[in-house]
Amino acid sequence: MVTPGISPQEPRRVTGADGMIDPVTGEQRVIAPGHTFRSVTEKLSRIVLTPHTPVGWFLGLGLAGSVAILLLVAVTWLFLKGTGIWGITIPVAWGFAIINFVWWIGIGHAGTLISAILLLFKQKWRNSINRFAEAMTLFAVVCAAMYPVIHTGRPWLAIYWLFPYPNTMNYWPQFRSPLMWDVFAVSTYATISVVFWYIGMIPDLGTMRDRAKSKFARFVYGNMALGWRGSTRHWMRYETASLLLAGLATPLVLSVHTVISFDFAVAIMPGWHTTIFPPYFVAGAIYSGFAMVLTLAIPIRKFYHLEDLITLRHLDNCGKVMLATGFIVAYGYSTDIAYAWYSADKWEFFMAWNRIFGPMGWSYWILIVSNILIPLTTLWSRKLRQNVVFLFILSLIVNTGMWFERFVIVVVSLTRDYLPGSWGTYKATRWDYMTFIGTLGLFTFLFFLFIRLLPMIPMSEIRQILPGAKINEAELQQRGGH
Amino acid sequence: MEEIHHSRTLPADLSAPAAVLQWRTRAAGVTAVFAILAVLDLLLSHSFDAILHGWLMGLILCLSLTLGGLALLMVQWVSGGKWGLLIRRPLEAMSRTLPIVFLMFLPIAIFIKRIYIWARITHPEQALHNGLIDAMQAHAIAYKRPYLNIEGFWIRGIIYFLIFGIFTYFLNKWSLQRDTDTAHNNWYWQKKFENLSGPGLVVYSLVLTGMCVDWVMSLDPTWFSSMFGFMFIVAQGYAGLAFVILVVLALSQYSPMDAVLRKTEQHDLGKLCFAFVMLNIYMAFSQYLIIWSGNLPNEIRWYMDRITGGWGPIAGLDFLFHWVLPFFLLLSRDIKRNKTKLARVCVIMLFARCWDTWWLIAPAFPSERANLHFTWGMLEYIFVPGAMIGLWLIYFFTTLRSRNVVAQNDPHLVELMESQHAHA
Repeated sequence: MVTPGISPQEPRRVTGADGMIDPVTGEQRVIAPGHTFRSVTEKLSRIVLTPHTPVGWFLGLGLAGSVAILLLVAVTWLFLKGTGIWGITIPVAWGFAIINFVWWIGIGHAGTLISAILLLFKQKWRNSINRFAEAMTLFAVVCAAMYPVIHTGRPWLAIYWLFPYPNTMNYWPQFRSPLMWDVFAVSTYATISVVFWYIGMIPDLGTMRDRAKSKFARFVYGNMALGWRGSTRHWMRYETASLLLAGLATPLVLSVHTVISFDFAVAIMPGWHTTIFPPYFVAGAIYSGFAMVLTLAIPIRKFYHLEDLITLRHLDNCGKVMLATGFIVAYGYSTDIAYAWYSADKWEFFMAWNRIFGPMGWSYWILIVSNILIPLTTLWSRKLRQNVVFLFILSLIVNTGMWFERFVIVVVSLTRDYLPGSWGTYKATRWDYMTFIGTLGLFTFLFFLFIRLLPMIPMSEIRQILPGAKINEAELQQRGGH
Repeated sequence: MEEIHHSRTLPADLSAPAAVLQWRTRAAGVTAVFAILAVLDLLLSHSFDAILHGWLMGLILCLSLTLGGLALLMVQWVSGGKWGLLIRRPLEAMSRTLPIVFLMFLPIAIFIKRIYIWARITHPEQALHNGLIDAMQAHAIAYKRPYLNIEGFWIRGIIYFLIFGIFTYFLNKWSLQRDTDTAHNNWYWQKKFENLSGPGLVVYSLVLTGMCVDWVMSLDPTWFSSMFGFMFIVAQGYAGLAFVILVVLALSQYSPMDAVLRKTEQHDLGKLCFAFVMLNIYMAFSQYLIIWSGNLPNEIRWYMDRITGGWGPIAGLDFLFHWVLPFFLLLSRDIKRNKTKLARVCVIMLFARCWDTWWLIAPAFPSERANLHFTWGMLEYIFVPGAMIGLWLIYFFTTLRSRNVVAQNDPHLVELMESQHAHA
């Protein structure tokens, strides 16, 4: 039932031939019309339960897997030789490892925002994209969490440095160090994300168990479904658990990247020590995360013909979120420069000058062009926000820009600090590049496995937003409901 | 099970109830009392500066209600949703109080030298030599002269008001037109408002940052914090939202608001308040942690002025009013769904804004810096803002009364008329 009572003489926007425009609001529909409970379940479960895996999937998985091998090689060599194989030097003691860590963990934030905050804000459109966005979060966290561990050089000893555990040596980590807080922030984030993702999947796993033909699949999905029967009591508990987990995950959207921004901001290094960092890091994380959602969603909806479930409305909304968070990022860049002058501090001012015009100024301009100039001018246009090819290209541009943002913050600030005598430069080695590209491969590899083995769009949640799920009040009253 | 209203209908008369006029009379009484007290206190304190300091605090508070209203108005246009329709007319009325805030700004602009040290000291070198200021202040005042100068302050002030005025004018004008418009559909209006409000929010955040640097941050010319503008923006939302909820709850005792305000949307507004409570403490704590850990002389002094010499308990109470109380109260679903209780939380939140503004402003002045003590002048921080807020309220109730309190011709209105379900 659509919202009733709109006056019939209300002139309507011309609806598209495919009926994708909602006549009441004039917006793109969240789900294409014509879907029923059955058609949604059929369509989504078939992707997983089909015995005919598409050849393209094997090719993709193989390619991603081979790229991921680069990571294995690079990390093995690292463990054998130590961090000397990387481009890090003094003064640039933090290089690719920390850039990649921040970049990856930032990407994860969009998944949590979609699954938690948009749930609390009752944004029903999120239902189509929350599952794979949350999977994206998990895989991004896997890639991210690896860096701080391997950047210690001897990760088998890292447990002494990172985890506070009672030991006979009475040896504790430095609790006042934000690196220590990172351990808690990231591990909490990973835990809550896994639980939230899994709990959300239980009704769908029940569906998969019931629809699976092979005994093995029934056994696996059956175990994973934890005895889900779809009774009212089950649903009630499921809904309560989802809300509670959303409530727990919401502060994590802010806190994780905030703690990461503290890694920099609590130091007194010009370019790091600035109070705008926490909100600006969070906004940047969501910005890059939504870009990654688009990078993944656009090929997937094309390949699996999911255009009627991940519609232009979703892409449009992702574009809008990117526009909003992009502007917060732009606000951060502007205040960085404005306060570099207003602080009346010559080191702050030099830092800003060095960023823009110094020997590594090119990286600053890459980030300005790809984070600000291109996206924040084009995303205003509704036409471009609904142009699939454009959005895909833009999402890659923004992800590049966000990587360079971290490059500028981590590397460029370190190259030239207070004492000109200790200035240096930075050049990444092949091992740096291999590690980074390797995590891209690992991420894609895990994602390919996910879309093949689990329902990437939540069937149960899509069913809830179909017109058939809306309570018909007239009917309810007739039956003497409530 | 919630109470469910069947067959809800929209009353024919959507104008503001007559009770608004009574509220206005009460506000006039409050204004008069505080104004008299302020004058009597002036006789005791013999300090015109104290009046000005209180005036600055009153200006910042009235500004946060006006601009908080404008910002939330633009936010609800770009985000959409039923909650926006519910509070739209009160928000518009809040934004239309801009002229009176401009008038309140004039005394600050005129007596600028008595408030801002950078305006008072024309020759920092000499002042340093005479021991009026220290070296850090002398450097900052001289260095920041291209920005912190009297003419610039005036010109920027007028530009800020002009920019906000343009957005206020169009958003209010179009909203009234939409009420009776049958020639255009919802899509037309929605896009029209969105296209102004989206860029409007970008402009708003930049202008407000400038405003808070000029009016508040520059009270201590040595201090800077790049997050301060952002915190100020959140504070506007915090105050604006608490106030507009209070207005809607008060209006809902009468027709027509009683027909439109459902438990569901009231609950949503309560949750939004909660989000602002969290956002506010998040920013305040982050700024504090970063500056504390850096412990740099040009940054930490600002906090030292505000946590030592008796100001510590004030900061602690600020934390209590601003976060602890609203946080724990708003966690409760029952409180968010109960009109009286939610109204009380909103009052606490508004009180917290007053407390916080006092804590931000007062320690910037030499007599109170890191030294909280009773003087008759100190009482002006209660009397002058009290009278100003009273005056603002008189103006607000007049603007609120001038239009229907429920906007029409919006598809969300139909949704608000639907009966509500327990878990809607």
